[in-house]
Amino acid sequence: MTGFPILTAILMSTVFGLLTILLIPPERTKLVKQVSMFWATVGLILTLWLYFNFDHSKGGLQFVERVLWVKSLGIYWFHGVDGINMPMLLLTAVVLFTGVWTMWELEYRAKEFFALMFLLVAGVYGMFLSMDLFWMFVWYDVSLFPMYPLISIWGGTRKEYGAMKLTLYLLAGSALILPAIIYAWVQGGAITFDLFELQKIGFSLLDQKILFVMLYLGFGILAAVWPFHTWSPVGHVAAPTAVSMIHAGVLMKLGAYGILRIGMTLCPQGLGYWSDLMALLACIGIVYGALVGLAQTDLKYVIGYSSVSHMGMVGLGLATMTVSGINGAVFQMFAHGVMTALFFSSVGYIYDRTHTKMIPELGGMSKTMPIASAFFIIAALAGIGVPLMASFWAELLVFIAAVQVFPVGGIFAMVGLIISALFMLRVVQRTFYGERNEKFGHIPDVSPFLAVPRIILIGVILFFGFFPKVMLDVIQSAVIPFVGSF
Amino acid sequence: MMNDFILFLPEFYFTIAALIYFGLSLKKTSEPWALQKWALTLAGIGLIVTVAASRQQGMLFFDCYRVDLFSQVFKVLLAMGTFWIIFSSSELRGIDGRQHAEYYFLMFICTLAMMMLVSSVELLTIYVAIELSSYSLYLMVPMRRNADEFSETGVKYFMIGVTASAMMLFGISLLFGATHTTYVSQIITKLPALFGQPVAIVGLVLALAGFFFKLAVFPFHIWAPDVYQGSANQVTAYIATASKMAAAALIIRFSALSMGASHELVNFLIVICVLSMTFGNLVAIIQKDIKRLLAYSSIAHAGYMLMGILALDGRGYAAAIYYAMAYLVMNYACFMVIMKIADDGHNLQIKELAGLHKRSPLLAMTLMMGLFGLAGIPPTAGFTGKFLVFAAAVEKGYLWLAIVGMINATISLYYYLIVIKAAYLLKPVQELPAIRIDRWTHAMSLILVALMVYLGVFPDQFVNITEAAAKSLF
Repeated sequence: MTGFPILTAILMSTVFGLLTILLIPPERTKLVKQVSMFWATVGLILTLWLYFNFDHSKGGLQFVERVLWVKSLGIYWFHGVDGINMPMLLLTAVVLFTGVWTMWELEYRAKEFFALMFLLVAGVYGMFLSMDLFWMFVWYDVSLFPMYPLISIWGGTRKEYGAMKLTLYLLAGSALILPAIIYAWVQGGAITFDLFELQKIGFSLLDQKILFVMLYLGFGILAAVWPFHTWSPVGHVAAPTAVSMIHAGVLMKLGAYGILRIGMTLCPQGLGYWSDLMALLACIGIVYGALVGLAQTDLKYVIGYSSVSHMGMVGLGLATMTVSGINGAVFQMFAHGVMTALFFSSVGYIYDRTHTKMIPELGGMSKTMPIASAFFIIAALAGIGVPLMASFWAELLVFIAAVQVFPVGGIFAMVGLIISALFMLRVVQRTFYGERNEKFGHIPDVSPFLAVPRIILIGVILFFGFFPKVMLDVIQSAVIPFVGSF
Repeated sequence: MMNDFILFLPEFYFTIAALIYFGLSLKKTSEPWALQKWALTLAGIGLIVTVAASRQQGMLFFDCYRVDLFSQVFKVLLAMGTFWIIFSSSELRGIDGRQHAEYYFLMFICTLAMMMLVSSVELLTIYVAIELSSYSLYLMVPMRRNADEFSETGVKYFMIGVTASAMMLFGISLLFGATHTTYVSQIITKLPALFGQPVAIVGLVLALAGFFFKLAVFPFHIWAPDVYQGSANQVTAYIATASKMAAAALIIRFSALSMGASHELVNFLIVICVLSMTFGNLVAIIQKDIKRLLAYSSIAHAGYMLMGILALDGRGYAAAIYYAMAYLVMNYACFMVIMKIADDGHNLQIKELAGLHKRSPLLAMTLMMGLFGLAGIPPTAGFTGKFLVFAAAVEKGYLWLAIVGMINATISLYYYLIVIKAAYLLKPVQELPAIRIDRWTHAMSLILVALMVYLGVFPDQFVNITEAAAKSLF
């Protein structure tokens, strides 16, 4: 380890954020928000610096920090970035930054809210940065449990039910992950939790099969793999805006990331064995999410089910085990994260003002609040995968790979995409066009201050839509050697 | 001779402390706060003495009594538990003023007995120590204002306890019959050859049954919920923390007897471990009284601890010791909050916690961290403890056992979340006044929270200590 430990610094920006927020008296909500904003900005700046200093021509693991943590078990404080977690870090930083900004109007128990949010994001950063199985699990769980208070205190529809369901589902997932991690450690000689050392040791085919299915199911719950997705729409609907943003935008990616980083790195042959199942569940998820989305009348449910559909796309990309498939999957994780954050952010604004998110009650919103509507419509277009949006490239890559590897599944996935385009457009049409609901006529549009975070998100979507190479170069630098190692 | 005296120093010290309080109990009246203050001072010095003696090694009393790192680690835990319980006694408002001196007297005696217990390596010494600690507890449990309401508790505890002692004595006599010795070290060498005979297994299992009663492992748990509910909060806290340490130590020492040779013993332990975890967690879900809830959760935690023990190797025992250590801190944190909220000594219901985050944010946070720790959420000590016992079990090939354990942890999270929800979410029926806590309690809360996180995040040195302690067993 040489030089400034920037990865630890990124992680610690959230921990320090948490600690400084805890020191502020609870009635000074304004200060709480300023401090939160400060630490979110620190994290964003550090991550941007990292992104532009990441050498994608060299590839491999960079900015490595590795310190022995627990000697007798072989646990390391081991951080590093490569093309797979780099986009995820950027996503986390952007969503945290815009999420804090979006919640600027929060007054009720603001101190606790932002403290928990920083705790959650600390877990997310830690999971993305760590290359040690023990720490990965620790951070993974740290990112899950703040969801319970966040949803049940500040949430909306059926919040207590949603919070409990979500927490128990996700922790049931970790009931498979932890034994799997320990099993990998034991099979590797019980000397190291270092991911790459374990990869070098290698596992027998049987172990790989067992390990992969445990990790896949465990992380798959968080990635909303059908049929373990039922917590996700309920949880999203119940959660407050910024939490939905972080949760759907970033946290669900942890699941897919876990499958990719731990499952596929340690058990490529295990993936080979289970890939048909994975592709099948992914395709069902894509089509199912789209179809159920058609029937929803609640805007947040719509987004929740479209997330199930889009995360299916990630799963399908991973299951192909090809360069373009995994490229597409990682890119889709990023694109979907930004897009969903924008979705929830714009719905959050509408809901805060109108106190409803039922599509039939809204109607004609584009006349009442044209800017807020524009944000939602852009997100919807990105969700459909319109060209020149980031998700277009991601989905394209996944389809190219999927049609080659799983022809039938790939076609089903495309059908799912068409259905989802249909339902998105229908939602847009019924919510934002048509008869205007006069009840909401007096409500002001988004103020410039509150529009900024949404505009940043749109900017990110468009930037990577116009210049996908900026992202794909980074991703590829890790994926090509990764696929080569299968 | 002087050297022997130093080896026995912690026990000797607690004998003197007990005698001082025996003397005080002869006085007719005394101030509750003065009694508590002096007890706290004595326990504090006791803790320092125990820590000072923690590196001692040697044998005493014709080799009946072994002072090694294993025993000294547990003695420190016992002294710490005693100190903490006296610290948060709130002047014992749940107990009749005339009994305060006796209460402290019995608590010191009980601590002394448990310290002797963790050092005993001879069956009769073990038996005497276990009875000494049990009898002090039999007397402490019925000490409570309005004891009539809970008169069943004391009788129940006594009856079941005596039955368990009888079983244990029978087991010990069988072991003696099979091996012709009461020295544990000699039994170790003779027992593996005898595992073909049922008498050795039955003897070991019956002796263990007596210890399982102390640890409240299913199916020896039936006393726990009633005793937890029926005793004064301080007594419950003492039983739930300090006395659990002694029981865990004893089971570890005894399991080390088998030297990993006995298949039957492992199967027996696996069955008990799974039943304990599952039963404890499932029944805890429906509890309304928080002490009862913690009683059932303690049954489940005994199961987790057994998972480390049943690996029957150094790593497993080390994991179990670490788990015991973490459990002491987490459980005490919960009980401290309970004692502070139910200051007058009544039994706290979960719904009474409503609005706690407003009445005292710090206590609410301490409770939340304690419960998350018990549920095994990282980065608390509880997670690291679970991680270590699961690792020990998986290393021995019990992958499925770790999965069962994790599923149980998920179930347990449900009822811990109910309590946390009450503290953070529920609106109280009527507005209750803020809870005033003195600065010592304030500091203690922060120390406990810091300790729980520290144990969880920086386990290295603690793991080293526990592994060294486990090595000294053999």
